[in-house]
Amino acid sequence: MNHEQQEVAQFVLAQTPFSHLDNSATDYFVKRLDVIYLTRENQTQWLQSESPKLFLIRSGLYDLVDAKGDVITRLAQGDYFGFPSLLTGEAIQNHLAVQKEGIVYMLNQDAFDYLRREYKAFEQYFVRAHANRLLSSHYKSQNDSWSERKISELMSRKAVTLSPDASIRQAAKKMKEHGVSSIMVTEFERLVGVVTDRDLRNRVLADEIDPKHAIQTIMSAKPKFIFENNRVFSALHLMLKHNIHHLPVLDEHHKALGMITSTDLLRQQKSDPVQLIGRIYKAHSVADLKRYAAEVPKLLRSFSHNIDDISLIGKLLSGLTDALTSRLIYLFQEEYGAAPTSFSFICFGSQAREEQTLHSDQDNGLLLPDDLSEQHQDYYRRMGEFVCEQLVECGIKRCPGNIMASSELCRMSISDWCEKFFTWIKSPTPQAMLNCKIFFDLRFIEGSTALYTAFCEQLTRISHNELFYAAMATDIKSNSVPIGLFNQFKLEKDAKQHKYIDLKKRGVVIINDIVRLYALKAGIRRANTQERLDALLKHSLLSNHDVYNLKDCWRFLTQLRLRTQINEEGLPSNCINPDKLNSLERHQLKEAFYLLKLAQQAAAFKFARGSL
Amino acid sequence: MVKRWLSRYFARKQLLAQNALVQRYIVIDLELTGLDPKQHEIVSIAWLLIDNQCIKLSQAQHTINKDVQRLEQSPVYHGISLQDVATGQKLAAILAALSAHFSDAILVFHNATLDWGFLKQAFQTHGITIQPKLILDTFHIEKKRLHHQGHEIGLDDLTLGACRARYELPYYSTHHALTDAMATAELLLAQCHQISRGKELKLAALV
Repeated sequence: MNHEQQEVAQFVLAQTPFSHLDNSATDYFVKRLDVIYLTRENQTQWLQSESPKLFLIRSGLYDLVDAKGDVITRLAQGDYFGFPSLLTGEAIQNHLAVQKEGIVYMLNQDAFDYLRREYKAFEQYFVRAHANRLLSSHYKSQNDSWSERKISELMSRKAVTLSPDASIRQAAKKMKEHGVSSIMVTEFERLVGVVTDRDLRNRVLADEIDPKHAIQTIMSAKPKFIFENNRVFSALHLMLKHNIHHLPVLDEHHKALGMITSTDLLRQQKSDPVQLIGRIYKAHSVADLKRYAAEVPKLLRSFSHNIDDISLIGKLLSGLTDALTSRLIYLFQEEYGAAPTSFSFICFGSQAREEQTLHSDQDNGLLLPDDLSEQHQDYYRRMGEFVCEQLVECGIKRCPGNIMASSELCRMSISDWCEKFFTWIKSPTPQAMLNCKIFFDLRFIEGSTALYTAFCEQLTRISHNELFYAAMATDIKSNSVPIGLFNQFKLEKDAKQHKYIDLKKRGVVIINDIVRLYALKAGIRRANTQERLDALLKHSLLSNHDVYNLKDCWRFLTQLRLRTQINEEGLPSNCINPDKLNSLERHQLKEAFYLLKLAQQAAAFKFARGSL
Repeated sequence: MVKRWLSRYFARKQLLAQNALVQRYIVIDLELTGLDPKQHEIVSIAWLLIDNQCIKLSQAQHTINKDVQRLEQSPVYHGISLQDVATGQKLAAILAALSAHFSDAILVFHNATLDWGFLKQAFQTHGITIQPKLILDTFHIEKKRLHHQGHEIGLDDLTLGACRARYELPYYSTHHALTDAMATAELLLAQCHQISRGKELKLAALV
């Protein structure tokens, strides 16, 4: 081993594929490296097609951007780039957007080729990484295709039609009745014209036309139209070309089917879940809610490939649950009368952290004013029971630990809630610690914000306790990160001898726990882990570097974890078999666990020094 | 005499007007047995070359001084034992190899006062005349930069580790002449970037 370049060699040796190769490979690599400080200004100096290089990141953050300007992936410590050109001999296609400058190692083509020849695993690693990169960009291009869909798929409204001899006033009334901004004028089911809001303004009001006239005098005759089997893209094209916002849709016999508007197309560009949440907030019956909720799993599956940031799904699912809960509370009040006092419906745990999954169960509660009459208490009991039962009907499972507003223990006055928290804080038994992990992540859903804020203020006051922090830090330390000495995964086994890593229990949960502890100490009143981390940037408890590391770990693990739920492999949920990952992901997973272990130790050191 | 002095003055003035980003640098770090050039010795010399903002590990060197009399500091610190010393080279040979770079590279140290003091002494003892083009000091560059920003500068703010942390460069736990030379070289690149920010950077801005 070249003991001389110790720091560089140590680092390289910890990276795949070098960690699997003979030390002589690392030695060869290190001796031939060029070391640069890669910045926005000098990057073009290094990324040149005529002298392709392998780059290995030692520090800094860079986004790999393709020719179209889309970010392919974020690169950080231990990531490689530049290998596609070395492998294919083709010109460099991607470039970098430097997020944070840093140290990068470079290797020239000759040395790269030598390592490929000498070490099969080296060759395999980069060939596979290249294939994966191609695959992921392929996926992307496939899914950009909302504009490839047929018009009929997104035309929801039935045709609103009138005959040409109907009066202008009739047209206006009909538009009002159907809540539309345009009307189709048909003769024997054939389209002859269109009247829009704008026509009523410009051609009727402004020109002082008598509304008793027939609409054929003011309609746009021979309008542009589109067939139901055309692509959305064509509709968009027509609208842009002719600067129109309404496009009649016809079937192949030219029968008027409906109208598509520029708003419809715009909405299409936005995500479908946003629409679903919108519909939930307008639902008029429990039956409607159930129907909408039933769409969620299917929607999620189609959606999972559509967004780059899969961790967004947690936010969306929580948003859907929030919407369902709010609407149920509204429907309950519609039926049983308005709430007699102020109240706050709150949620805990994963829903509060906005990282719900399809398997998450309910964690909610009711926060009530002190000294309620029995009659009022009974009202809230019924509200709690109603909401929780209907949520079950909507597919959100009952909480096995009974953390639900239907339970007496989670439907309490401010004083009783505070008392409950205080018991855990002053005697941090293992059970109390477990409770803290669930209940200290809380978020307001519906009702009175004043009540909720008052509660949070009291909670911040009573949770300020160094011994309590120490207990939490010690508890966090007891959950081991599944990575051993020499950076190898520590696998668990199930009854069927599947080997796996539990990404939730051994990864995401630990991050959440660490972040919760720092957030409590800093008095941050947020439940979402990413938001807590953002808020921690403004405090000096953690260095920005550590905060970014935790953020990256969290995102990576959450992303992997959600993938296990969507593509099931027969393993327990949230678990992954590291052999099924590609080498890059395996490498990243190790890196994530390593950083997590460091963060865990740092927290224990910071908060539990005295008691260890 | 005056003529020689004048020609050196103008050469330096010309050099300082040049672009710092395209120069060739030699970054040097010494392991020493103590802090006093009069009584302590050089244990080893490491150097690295930077060309066009690129540190070339293929040309990195670390050589132990075979002539060292007493290894005063604990070997745990500089990691060099008596057995290592036996594998070293004569100081005169090391100095000759080092000085061969002086004609075309600018010297860089972190805290030049100490290391350059020892080197000057050693060159003199061995009768080697040297004429370095220019000496840069990352310690001095950092001090000046912090001063410009109006920071109070504490005792520990200018150590190699503290300077590197300021640029979020990786943390190096080992203390070894070559590691420190590497650490200094990376620091210089980061400093150049920070000071130039994409604009032209004259060498004069670094002295």
